[in-house]
Amino acid sequence: MNLKLIILIAAVGLWCSRAGGAELSPRESEIRAKLVEAILAEETAREAMLLGLGETGSQTVREVFSAWPRDRVFLYEDSENRSVPALLGEEEDAEGMVGATLIATGERIKAEDGQPRRFDVTEVAPVDTDGSLRKVLQLGIDLLSLSAVDPDARRSAVLKLGNSQSPDNIPLLRTKLAKEAHPEVRQAIHEALALLQLGSSDPEIQREAVRSLESMKSIGCLEALKKLASNQEADPGVVQAALRAVSIIEAHISWINFVGTIFRGVSLGSILLIVALGLAITFGLMGIINMAHGEMIAVGAYTCYVVQNLFGAGFGFSIILPINWGGNPISFGLQLPGLNASGALYESYFLFAIPLSFLMAALAGILIERAVIQFLYRRPLESLLATWGVSLVMQQCFRMVFGANNVQVNSPSWLLGHFSVDDIIFGYNRIFVVAFAVLIVIGTWLLLTKTPLGLLIRSVMQNRDMAACIGVRTNRVNMLTFALGSGLAGLAGAFLSQIGNVGPSLGQSYIVDSFMTVVVGGVGSIVGTVCSAIGIGTADQILQQVTGSPVTGKIVVLVAIILFLQWKPGGLFAVRNRSLD
Amino acid sequence: MKSSIMKIMCGFAAACLLLGQTVQAATVKVGVLHSLSGTMAISETSLRDVLLFAFDEINAAGGIKAGGQSYMIEPVVVDGASNWPLFAEKAKQLLEQDKVAVVFGCWTSVSRKSVLPVFEKDNGLLFYPVQYEGEELSRNIFYTAEAVNQQATPAVDYLLAQGKKKFYLIGTDYVYPQTTNLILYKYLLLHGIPLENIGGGLRKDSDGKVISAGKYTPFSHTDYQQIVAEIKQFAASGDACVLNTINGDSNVPFFKEIAAAGLSSADCPVVSFSLAEDELRSLPTKDLVGELGCWTYFMSIKSPNNKSFLGRWNSWLKKQQYPGVVKQKRAMDSPMVLSYNGVNLWKSAVEKAGTFDVDKVRTVLESGKITFDGPGGETTMQKNHHTTKNVYIGETRANGQFKILKEFPNVVGEPFILDDLDKKLTAKGH
Repeated sequence: MNLKLIILIAAVGLWCSRAGGAELSPRESEIRAKLVEAILAEETAREAMLLGLGETGSQTVREVFSAWPRDRVFLYEDSENRSVPALLGEEEDAEGMVGATLIATGERIKAEDGQPRRFDVTEVAPVDTDGSLRKVLQLGIDLLSLSAVDPDARRSAVLKLGNSQSPDNIPLLRTKLAKEAHPEVRQAIHEALALLQLGSSDPEIQREAVRSLESMKSIGCLEALKKLASNQEADPGVVQAALRAVSIIEAHISWINFVGTIFRGVSLGSILLIVALGLAITFGLMGIINMAHGEMIAVGAYTCYVVQNLFGAGFGFSIILPINWGGNPISFGLQLPGLNASGALYESYFLFAIPLSFLMAALAGILIERAVIQFLYRRPLESLLATWGVSLVMQQCFRMVFGANNVQVNSPSWLLGHFSVDDIIFGYNRIFVVAFAVLIVIGTWLLLTKTPLGLLIRSVMQNRDMAACIGVRTNRVNMLTFALGSGLAGLAGAFLSQIGNVGPSLGQSYIVDSFMTVVVGGVGSIVGTVCSAIGIGTADQILQQVTGSPVTGKIVVLVAIILFLQWKPGGLFAVRNRSLD
Repeated sequence: MKSSIMKIMCGFAAACLLLGQTVQAATVKVGVLHSLSGTMAISETSLRDVLLFAFDEINAAGGIKAGGQSYMIEPVVVDGASNWPLFAEKAKQLLEQDKVAVVFGCWTSVSRKSVLPVFEKDNGLLFYPVQYEGEELSRNIFYTAEAVNQQATPAVDYLLAQGKKKFYLIGTDYVYPQTTNLILYKYLLLHGIPLENIGGGLRKDSDGKVISAGKYTPFSHTDYQQIVAEIKQFAASGDACVLNTINGDSNVPFFKEIAAAGLSSADCPVVSFSLAEDELRSLPTKDLVGELGCWTYFMSIKSPNNKSFLGRWNSWLKKQQYPGVVKQKRAMDSPMVLSYNGVNLWKSAVEKAGTFDVDKVRTVLESGKITFDGPGGETTMQKNHHTTKNVYIGETRANGQFKILKEFPNVVGEPFILDDLDKKLTAKGH
């Protein structure tokens, strides 16, 4: 360590005591001093210091380690022109400014007037990181995670150490194994140990390691095992054992792929289902060839975007019409203030966005029904043209309000991530879409069969004139049914904003899939739509897996659908009725 | 007396008219051929904007001096409308009707391929600014764009140096990703990466020759579950990375799926060849932190040249009155800078040749002595119509900028590398 550094640390220490860091426990201030030292250290000396800090298990260290690679650790020039390391806060205010704390003391940096000072994230000069430093920081976080409370974090930390291929980690893992009680983490430690022991020179240890990897069906170690099995110089007994282990693990992989594909098929089917369910009502029940269905989905997605912004920094837009009025272009704008929420409250925006997406799309549906569709109930072909026109108008509106570029919708953290059972990955967003689809299908079914409104809807859709004769206000029921279908499309949009793009042409990419699903299922049958969505989704994923190409899979599905409709023109569940049309 | 005053005034007016005519005569028409509507408009309008900026800058500095006279640039902007046959028609219009001295334009390889015969027939001059697959050399086109050896192969060199051992190839299904991935596949084999460590699959023709490497999805593909699951298994044993030539907004579902599957940039980085600062504006950069990019210009380059360039660009944006040029939230990226470089390379060539004549300007450009000190460093036009320039590897930051990790100075652009790779591979016994 150089002299300059010692002086600096001493100065920082002095400054700390003067600033009154009395609340810190001695251990905490010692850790903080070490952190400061490591941040300011030369690159070569840093590694050991950081790993040492990783052993402490301190929350402060974790915060700094995870903030550093994201450029949130910077050198702050204090009033006496000394550079001291500081940590930027996470919570941005309306202008995108954040507060900061001094790493040495954990105190907020204050401006001269005593108020917390705000920093512009893009202005401060972060302490640079590179690939190797980030690796060390990650290892540090792993070490912290090895003593983490959350077993999942401990487990992934262990797996990383196992992949490190350095035998130095064996003793570290052994000591952790002695302390570990959680069965999954113990398993992970065994796996990591076995992987590290495969590199041993003693055949007995190698054989033991192969046996334990075999019993654990470890996929990550498959290549290490294959390598061992093809190694000419290895002990024949070890090679034999490795070959057996490889075949067992490969069988395991095909099992995972099978189950995984089914799950992915169901999740893709669920997306098709939520996208098509609204259309199953507007097209299937009402008989309107609704080309604007995709734009209803987009309304839902954009609602999600606006709600997200309202929870964040607010939302503003201005529209300049390409018309001149007295030499000036006509323009109007709207500025909505934001809640500036952060953390869990900000992430809960999605829960509010879901019902609002339904409402907005339903309102848009009512508007379209009143303005255009109510005049076209007996003229399906004209309704095709009219709704197509509506869809073009709506796309242009999205462009004018939100711009031609896609907008960013952030997924809440509880929708990112995954869990795995027996090495099969289940993404949270995928589980969510399946559950979401089940819920809205049940909801729609209950609404249509168990409520008075549902009864009216069914009667009007079966025979509009007869329903009108017995006193049903068909006009109103039509409007509400179209609103329901549109609202369901809005729900689909809310979900799609979490897995894909939100842009003016969002609807266009789903309209074909929606019609396909409804037609295959049988126009007018909700059960048919459910079956066809899940069927198409699963078939698509299986074919993708079999053919190894996303395009061929899709082509085969489309050809199959064409053939199927030749055989059963009415779809899976053809609705029989007595009308003559 | 009165009549003489009238005479003088008439003479003055006539002189003014003549003067006006001479001023008007000293302009040169220059074509701008980009899609200002349709799918590609999002990317290509930015190039139109930066070209207008470059022209204004040259005009403000006195125009182009050729043959003892100054010429002001008069841009002729036409819209290719993301429609490839229309590109050819518009090119014909620019060359035969407007008689422009040079055209700056095209983004997709297919648009370039469709205008190429027009330029060759009418002996026009086209400057092409966007990274492309190579394997082409027209006497009428100058490629300021990155060739494969100025983007994809340096990125692989960097990853190999970082100790990566497994490479997964994925792209959108059209000519640029297909050719690039085929080159990368051969390049990786040549650098000792075994076949089983190159992921994404191979397609062979009936003779067993590999004609396509990697996994391909169509434009606007949204379902990446199966592919990401495959990458996850591929990366399970560590030291893996993904070489991504997916184009356009399919990158959003792809990266969201990557994030959901828990593939972090520390374990398995994704290096993308079609995502620059301009595209990052509409992507969730939070999910992309630490992923890599490779270009010959980054907005974050800390050089006085780049700083002054960005300053001039921003003040021009505020002042300009062109219809359709967006003033706020603008980014600068490599294709834009390469367009800007193209204008300036052409200007110096014209000034050296002393004429706008295409054949003479081409001879000067081919001399290998035309150099421009641009925002990304020095650019030199080579005899083979490509440019020598610096190549940078960067990683994405949360603010949508790149942090520069490595610089390869003065890389010579080489369009034909497939044959060369084939020869070397045969020599190695593949």
